[in-house]
Amino acid sequence: MNSVSPSSVQYLSTGEEDLLRPEPSRFLAHSPSRGEKNYNGYFNGAESPSQNEALEVDKIKSKLISAGISAWNNVKYGWTVKTKTNFSRTSPLYLLGHCYSLELEDDIEAFKKDFVTRLWLTYRREFPQLEGSIWTTDCGWGCMLRSGQMLLAQGLMAHFLTRGWTWPDSLAAVEIELEPFRPRSFLKAGVSSSRQVPTAQRGRNRRTQELCAEFIWNSQDAEKERHHRNIISWFGDHPAASFGVHQLVEHGKSSGKKAGDWYGPSIVAHIIRRSVEEACETQDLTVYVAQDCTVYKADVIRLCEQTPAACDSNLPAKGKSVIILVPVRLGGETLNPVYMSCVKEIFKLEWCVGIIGGKPKHSLYFIGFQGRFFLTIDSEECSPLPSKEVSTFPLLHKSFHCTSPRKMALSKMDPSCTIGFYARNKTEFEALCVDVTRVLNSSAFRETYSIFTFAEGHAQDYRLDDLCSQLSEQAVQVPNIGKRGKAKRPSTEDFVFL
Amino acid sequence: EMPPFERSQELRPFKQRKCFATRKDEVTNIKSKFPNKLPVIIERYSKEKVLPLLPKTKFLAPPELSLCQFVTIIRIRNRMAIESNQAFYLLVNNRTLCGMSLTLAEIYAHNQDEDGFLYMTYASQEMFGA
Repeated sequence: MNSVSPSSVQYLSTGEEDLLRPEPSRFLAHSPSRGEKNYNGYFNGAESPSQNEALEVDKIKSKLISAGISAWNNVKYGWTVKTKTNFSRTSPLYLLGHCYSLELEDDIEAFKKDFVTRLWLTYRREFPQLEGSIWTTDCGWGCMLRSGQMLLAQGLMAHFLTRGWTWPDSLAAVEIELEPFRPRSFLKAGVSSSRQVPTAQRGRNRRTQELCAEFIWNSQDAEKERHHRNIISWFGDHPAASFGVHQLVEHGKSSGKKAGDWYGPSIVAHIIRRSVEEACETQDLTVYVAQDCTVYKADVIRLCEQTPAACDSNLPAKGKSVIILVPVRLGGETLNPVYMSCVKEIFKLEWCVGIIGGKPKHSLYFIGFQGRFFLTIDSEECSPLPSKEVSTFPLLHKSFHCTSPRKMALSKMDPSCTIGFYARNKTEFEALCVDVTRVLNSSAFRETYSIFTFAEGHAQDYRLDDLCSQLSEQAVQVPNIGKRGKAKRPSTEDFVFL
Repeated sequence: EMPPFERSQELRPFKQRKCFATRKDEVTNIKSKFPNKLPVIIERYSKEKVLPLLPKTKFLAPPELSLCQFVTIIRIRNRMAIESNQAFYLLVNNRTLCGMSLTLAEIYAHNQDEDGFLYMTYASQEMFGA
C-alpha cells in the first residue's frame, strides 16, 4: 500500500545513523505526552477553532510520538534526490521573491526551510472513486491539477500565514547538492560584480531562521500551525475537501473536462477560480483570471471590494484578498527566449505565488530560478500514499512537503503556463500593479513583447460588441494581377475587411 | 462549443502555398487600393487541436486597432466567445505574444514580413498529463 522508497529501507538497516542525528530525538524529548486520537483521514479534528492552544500543541507532539520513529525515518530519509540536482554556490537562488546565496551556511539553511514549507501535492492512488467515472487515481492524467493545487496552496499560505512563514517542525530535511566550493580568493574576485543578493533580504532570511531555530510553541505558532494543517486538509483526496482532486474535476466539467483528461494551465486557472468561489473556507479570498493576457484593474478592485459572506460577519469588513492568475502562451513550439529574463524577474517579486506549466506533456510547479535554471516542484514524483495504517499525523503531514528541490533549464519550459500573484487587499494590489508593470517593461523590448498587461477600467469597457457589429464582415475581391499579361485566374482567397 | 472544422483538410501555410513574388504583388496591389489598411495573415498553429480553423486567412485591418480589439473581433466573429474561457493567443511570427495595448500599426512596423504581410498564428494552450 504505502510506497516507501528503497532508500528508507536501506536506512532502517543502518539504524544507528539515527543516533548521530540530533534533531528528531531532541524534538521527541520535548514531547512526553502520548496521543489518544488518531488523525484518521484528513485532519478532521484540525478544524475546530475552540480548542485551546496548549491542547493543540500537545496533540501535535503526541502525533509525532504515535507515528513512531520508523515512520519518522521514512519521512526524513525516504525521499532522497533521485537525480542529482546541483545548485550553484555563487549564483543567487530566488524562491518566490526571496533571495538566497548558497555560499552562506545561514542562507542554505534558510532556503531549505523555505523550500520544504511549500506544499507538495502529487499523484495519489486508491482514493474514493471520482463521480461519474471509474477513476480512483489521477496517476498519468492529473499532474496539471496537482500543479494547480500547489499554486493555490501557495496562495492560501500567503493569505493565512504570510509569505515569510516557515514550517517550524520541518527540521530542515531538505537535501540539496551543492557544487564544490571554489578557492576563496577566486570567489571574492567575482563577488562584487555578480552578487545581487540585497543585504536587507539576507538579513531577513537570517532573522526568519533564528526565529524558527528555537522550537518555541507560543500561541501564535500554534495558531499558525493550525492554519497550516487546515490548508493541507482542504487538499485531501476525497469528495468533501474543497480543493481536493474530486472538487477540481467537478469544477472542470464546465470547461468540458472530465476525469482522465489532460488539463491545461488556463483551464486549471478557471478551475481554481470556481473552487475558491464555492469554498466556505475562503470567504475572504477571491480569484481573478485574466483573459487575453490583460488584467483589468477595475475588475480586480471590484473583487477586492466585495464584502466577505455573512458567515464571517464577526470580522471587520475589510474586503477580500485576491489571487491573480494570468494564463499565457510564451511562444509556439518552444519558450521564446525573449521572455526568459522577464519570467525570472517575476520570481524576484514577493507578489508571485508561482507558475504552473511544465515541460512538454509533463506538468511542473515553478517557484523560482537560479541562473539558467528554474526551481521546480514535480507533481509526478511518486510520493508515499497515506494509507489507513499510516495516517498518523506526522507522516501524512510530511507527505505534503517536498524535500527534493529540482531544477530545469529555462529553455525546456513549455510556452503554455499560468502565472500567479497574491495581493492581500486593494492597496497591495495597486503596489503589485506598479511592481509587476515595472518587471514586464524591464526587458530590452519594452512593452512591445510584454507577457501580459494591466489595463485601466473594466473588461466590459473594451468589449467592443458595438465595434464588431459596425464592422460588418465583407470580403474584398481583389483581382489577381497576372504576370506579364498572363490569363488572370479569379482569386480563390479574398481579404476579410475589418 | 467550438464549431466543427469548416474544411475537410487543412491547407498548407500561406507562405508555402504562394511564392514570395506572388505574395509581394498581392500586398502591393491591395495597398494601392486600400492605403489605410494593413494586410495581415492569420493562420492556425500547426499543432493546435482545440481551436477551429478560420474560414479565411487574409485580413485587411485598420492600423489604429489595438491588438486587444483585434483579438476580440477575431474571436467574436468566429464564435470563439470570450465567455467560454477558451484560451486564445495570437502569436506574431509564430512565436511572440505582443502587448495587448499595442496598435496593429506598431506591431506591423516591428514585425512585418519582407513580403509586406504581417503573419500571426493563433493557438490555445498545451495540455499536460503524461
